[in-house]
Amino acid sequence: MSSQASPMPGSASPGPIRAAMPRRKPPIWGGRLQELGMLLPACILIALFLLLPFLSSFEIALTNQRLIPRPVPVRFVGLGNFQQILTDSAFWTALWNVTRFTVMVLPIQCGFALAIALLLNQKLPFRNFFRGLFFLPAITSMVVVCVIWSTLFQYPTGPFNQIVGFLSFGLVGPIDWLGDPNWAMPSIVLLSAWQAYGFQMIVYLAGLQNIPETLYEAAELDGANAWQRFWNVTMPSLRQTHIFVLIITTIQAFKLFTQVNILTQGGPRGTTDTLVHYMFTAGFVDQRLGLASAVAILLFLIVLVVSLVQRFVVRDRR
Amino acid sequence: MSTVVSTSTPSPVAKVSAKPDIGAIVKFVAVLIIALVVISPLFLLFVASLKPDRFQILADMGSFRAFWVSEPSLQNFTDIATFGGALPFGRYLVNSLIILFCTVLGGVFLNSMAAFVLAWGRLPGRALVLTALIGLYIVPQESIVLPLLSLVNKAGLGDSFAAQILPWMASPLYIFLIYQFFIQVPRDIYDAATVDGASPFRIYWSVFLPLSLPVLATVAILLGIETWNQYLWPLMVTQTDYARPISVGIASFFGHDSVYWNSAMAASVMMMVPVLIFYLAFQKWFVSSFISSAVKC
Repeated sequence: MSSQASPMPGSASPGPIRAAMPRRKPPIWGGRLQELGMLLPACILIALFLLLPFLSSFEIALTNQRLIPRPVPVRFVGLGNFQQILTDSAFWTALWNVTRFTVMVLPIQCGFALAIALLLNQKLPFRNFFRGLFFLPAITSMVVVCVIWSTLFQYPTGPFNQIVGFLSFGLVGPIDWLGDPNWAMPSIVLLSAWQAYGFQMIVYLAGLQNIPETLYEAAELDGANAWQRFWNVTMPSLRQTHIFVLIITTIQAFKLFTQVNILTQGGPRGTTDTLVHYMFTAGFVDQRLGLASAVAILLFLIVLVVSLVQRFVVRDRR
Repeated sequence: MSTVVSTSTPSPVAKVSAKPDIGAIVKFVAVLIIALVVISPLFLLFVASLKPDRFQILADMGSFRAFWVSEPSLQNFTDIATFGGALPFGRYLVNSLIILFCTVLGGVFLNSMAAFVLAWGRLPGRALVLTALIGLYIVPQESIVLPLLSLVNKAGLGDSFAAQILPWMASPLYIFLIYQFFIQVPRDIYDAATVDGASPFRIYWSVFLPLSLPVLATVAILLGIETWNQYLWPLMVTQTDYARPISVGIASFFGHDSVYWNSAMAASVMMMVPVLIFYLAFQKWFVSSFISSAVKC
């Protein structure tokens, strides 16, 4: 994705792929030891806290290990955990829910982000101030967002119920947003999109800045109106940005956990259970580490596939 | 992102003089209204945190009184700060700040040191390490936390600060971000330093670190936000109030039948304020930081 945005502000060109040949001096052992001392701390931490748990999850997933070890010895169960997960209807519900979440959140979050980005890309006084304001939810912790939105969703007299009641002349509602199996997931979607759209917004803004002004001028000379300019100049030029935004939003969406854990605990009746929540329940609440590790591996595979799809698509069209 | 202001549509003012002004005002007002509506939940939070009566907060939420507080009071804040509330929020906040400070300081230092060696060192096998790191950053945190929890418990680190700091300090993504910055530093600068006989650490410390403040700020901001907002990991690893961060503290309000909305609101504001202060001070850096995190994946 290096073509999306330069890695840091103010860096002009990607620069040469380095040609670091140790040609100047014979290696000094003191220097090398020092280099090793500089490289190792980070590498040891990553090896201990990322690589080791990652590798051990493959081993644990083949056993019936518990989170808190029991006196009985750990037994090798082969692919039993995977078999158990794949035949558990709750797992499929969780997978279906997270898919449903992704399908709903993608257009809402990215569409809203693009709309705001288009607004902010115009000539506008205090534009940077507005950009900062619209970015605020993105730096707000999801836990805080849950506190605020659970009052907005309040049954029966919360703001959303008041608005819906007002707009429908009292015919609709009040709705128990987070407690109604039909509404719980859409409510989570709305809250999540609100919290996270800021990131997609600034990525779109960066993409919009990269569209050459001459394209718009040419379109205007050809008599294209604003609508046509949007569909024939802006949208095609944003192609790479769209792909990037869709992929990264999809990966984020598949990791849905915090808001579900806080607001609904996967309920009502499992309608907001997600992959990570299923894993959390299996591994942490029920202490079944082996089973949870198997879910973790499946989650990793999903993220891997989505990332690979992105690399493929981006490389293909360049 | 540095070009945000410069490019925009050619000024229509040249053609007609009076009409576009009205259009511009309408546009401005429209954007302002949209912004206010979108941001209003945050405003409601700040207003509600000043109302000491938790039933009043809920009753007001359904009407325009939610936007107004007639008798602002800091009682909620003093309650939770002095341990008078349901939960020790002063402690949670301090815990979060300790974890934040150690993680960001250690993270920036360790990641940039490693990145320097990968970019300019002469150690054999650097390319291999770099490849391994790039391969690792696809692994989501969510898929390693449970095996990690088991390891951390076995090592006797459960319910500790170390368990919340050490695992997230070093990160392939941030090493890679800084690495990308370092390799663009002209070779002459490095050569000049080696001719002077400076050791690798010396070159890193006095030449490369001062040069790379933008990318270090980026890493500090991203790592800081990430650490501040951690939820899943501290939820599992902390068992007592000893090292529990504020995110988990706030979430524990939801466990009860009746939520202490007044305390929850004040605690949420307390959690937001440090971020807001940094955000107001370094807004431009925040936005560009998030852009550069886009190199991930």
